[in-house]
Amino acid sequence: MEFDWTEDEAQHRAEIRDFLAEELPGDWEEMAQHGPGGDAQAAFSKVFCGRMAARGWLTQHWPIEYGGRDASPWRHAMVGEEMWAIGEPRGAQYMNVNWIGPALMRYGSEAQKAEHLPRISAGDVLWCQGFSEPEAGSDLAALRTEALRVGDEYVINGSKIWTSYCNHADFILLLVRTDPDSRRHRGISVLLVPMDTPGIEIREIPSVVGERYFHEVFFTDVHVPVTTRLGPENEGWEVVGHALQFERVGAARYARAAVTLDRLAELARERGLLDDPIVVDRLGEARALCEAARVLTYKVIDLRAKGSPPTADTQLARVLGTRADNAIGVLALEIIGPEALESGSFADANFRLAMTAGVAVGASEVQLNLIASRFLGLPRE
Amino acid sequence: MDFDLNDEQRAVVEAIEALLERHAGAARAIELGRDGGYDTALDAALEAAGYGEIATDLGLLEAVLLVEALARHGAVSGSAARLLAVPAVCDAGVPGPVALMRAGHSGPVRYASHANTLLILDGDQARRVTLRPGECPAVPSNFGFPMGRVSAECVGRGEPLGQGRGARLEDAWRLGLAAETVGCMDAALAETVAYLKQRRQFGQTIASFQAVQHRLAECAIQVEASRWLTREAGFVASGSEAVASAAAFALDAAGHVFAETHQLSGAIGFTREHDLHVWSMRLHALRQELGGVGGHRRAVVEARWGEALEGEARGGEALEGEAPGGDRPR
Ligand SMILES: Cc1cc2nc3c(=O)[nH]c(=O)nc-3n(C[C@H](O)[C@H](O)[C@H](O)COP(=O)(O)OP(=O)(O)OC[C@H]3O[C@@H](n4cnc5c(N)ncnc54)[C@H](O)[C@@H]3O)c2cc1C
Repeated sequence: MEFDWTEDEAQHRAEIRDFLAEELPGDWEEMAQHGPGGDAQAAFSKVFCGRMAARGWLTQHWPIEYGGRDASPWRHAMVGEEMWAIGEPRGAQYMNVNWIGPALMRYGSEAQKAEHLPRISAGDVLWCQGFSEPEAGSDLAALRTEALRVGDEYVINGSKIWTSYCNHADFILLLVRTDPDSRRHRGISVLLVPMDTPGIEIREIPSVVGERYFHEVFFTDVHVPVTTRLGPENEGWEVVGHALQFERVGAARYARAAVTLDRLAELARERGLLDDPIVVDRLGEARALCEAARVLTYKVIDLRAKGSPPTADTQLARVLGTRADNAIGVLALEIIGPEALESGSFADANFRLAMTAGVAVGASEVQLNLIASRFLGLPRE
Repeated sequence: MDFDLNDEQRAVVEAIEALLERHAGAARAIELGRDGGYDTALDAALEAAGYGEIATDLGLLEAVLLVEALARHGAVSGSAARLLAVPAVCDAGVPGPVALMRAGHSGPVRYASHANTLLILDGDQARRVTLRPGECPAVPSNFGFPMGRVSAECVGRGEPLGQGRGARLEDAWRLGLAAETVGCMDAALAETVAYLKQRRQFGQTIASFQAVQHRLAECAIQVEASRWLTREAGFVASGSEAVASAAAFALDAAGHVFAETHQLSGAIGFTREHDLHVWSMRLHALRQELGGVGGHRRAVVEARWGEALEGEARGGEALEGEAPGGDRPR
């Protein structure tokens, strides 16, 4: 047991910071205020990811044969921390490299790997994930969007909702029911569908979170070749289950929270608020919370680095990460005061990104269910 | 980064677990607790195994693992001070048991009734007092530790331990507090989970109700985060930010875990027949030291945004007030 960075890792963090200082435009903060799905950020991400790829950093944790460098998951985790902390200049592509790529490596055909992995690794393709539906949120296995097999094609009908980044995406990783007589977890498959396929329509759902944050995606008689299927037919639940274990600690929310907090402390000092013992108390509490979320996430990365199967540690880290994000989002409103209410202000932008943390990627209550059964071994109700 | 024990650490942990299985445990803590007794036999066993003296070549992280284990087994032993505080400030071994207190502290001091050495934190100074037998009268307490009252005369005898030792003592004390808290929370939660898995109401085990499960899961998150923060702090050692964060998080979690384990255990949890109190009551005693949760959080802010707080003495005073344990020096 030791909690040290290797020399290489420490150096890598410094390199990433230098790179960010060089590459981010002067108006980055404004650009990033709508989150990774904002228009400006999505466009920038292609340029930015290209530059990361040129340095070999974008998919460095992938095997060499797929365009990676076999680098340790710790180096990649460091990239994730540094990127998310400043507002994720990789845009939606953080998902590509974290789990869509690895899912393709594990379940993809040779043709699929050849088609998709080089593009992801080069940083010039955007993916979105089409899981949730109006009637299938936490209970994802209730999904209804169907893909009926007709000869060498699937014909897709149905709709997906909350699909982040779909307005910019080139592909959607789509969860569909391929066996119309099936129920629940059986009979589901994963399809890799180009977003420009005829019959796909996107409608924005206006929200308080940010511009073009939420969407509904409609599929009307969308024809795709059977070869777009990832993994075995009707066994898509396993494919996605495996992939999502990686996704759940994907975004380093604690890192962003910690950076925001440093800024808040500085602001509090400037305004003389550190005379206020309550402010000091809240800052100390918040910092400890960020640290707690970080160390639990590191535990998960350690398991991953050792090739161990995913455990409920993922859920522990996930819940605490969302707590940290939420707590610092609220603290920023409190410390900054009424100025925070202006749209686009630092506290406002931060608050909006933080507020969805406990629902996105599987609501906290569902994570708690998993902790209860898998970590504490509690019986079913 | 490596979250698994290495071979040496595993050997240490296994040895201490075996020793504690024999010499400690809830029953022993309850027996000693009847008249505020101290586990001299356990200390002797620890000494014999090489875990008592400053001379042991344990690293700080290994010491943290030991303290965590001692607390989990309900040990009635001031070993946290022995394993962490003494090596931090004393150049040679001192006669144990060792008690820790802050200058200006009023109220009972853990282990003072049985201690032969008292280490006093006085601003950036640390002082040492050799106690005379029976000098600190025992104070009855329901909070799981033998306690004693330290007289002003006794504090006055303190010999300075050298410049800058105050900060080291504070750090070591704080780290020990975090580690003890982790051990106690861990055991309190395990006890509660085990009980709720077998206690049936409404025709099913209570542990199968989701409302209960979520509360236990929240406790588990708090305990695990406290555990890993504390272990990491034991490794990082230098600089007190990691230590302060660990203590700030763990001692806050302790309040939550106390409330939840008791609430979810029902009436039986308040009795001396049920083991929960062995660990739960201690949590609140641990929350009294070094200014409590507020003191640890303030230490986080000082360590992280240091200059920010310099000269902001007013805030310090307001924080400390007259609260018990709020005797934190600037
Ligand atoms: C910012 C953001 C981005 C998203 N991006 C995507 C995306 O790109 N692709 C995609 O497919 N989806 C996406 N989602 C959807 C997300 O996965 C779902 O919102 C999430 O799974 C919860 O589903 P729901 O919103 O329908 O809530 P519901 O399932 O309706 O839940 C409502 C509340 O009930 C609770 N609840 C539900 N079931 C239980 C239970 N068994 N026990 C206790 N409590 C329960 C939930 O925890 C929640 O608090 C995104 C969501 C957000 C907020």
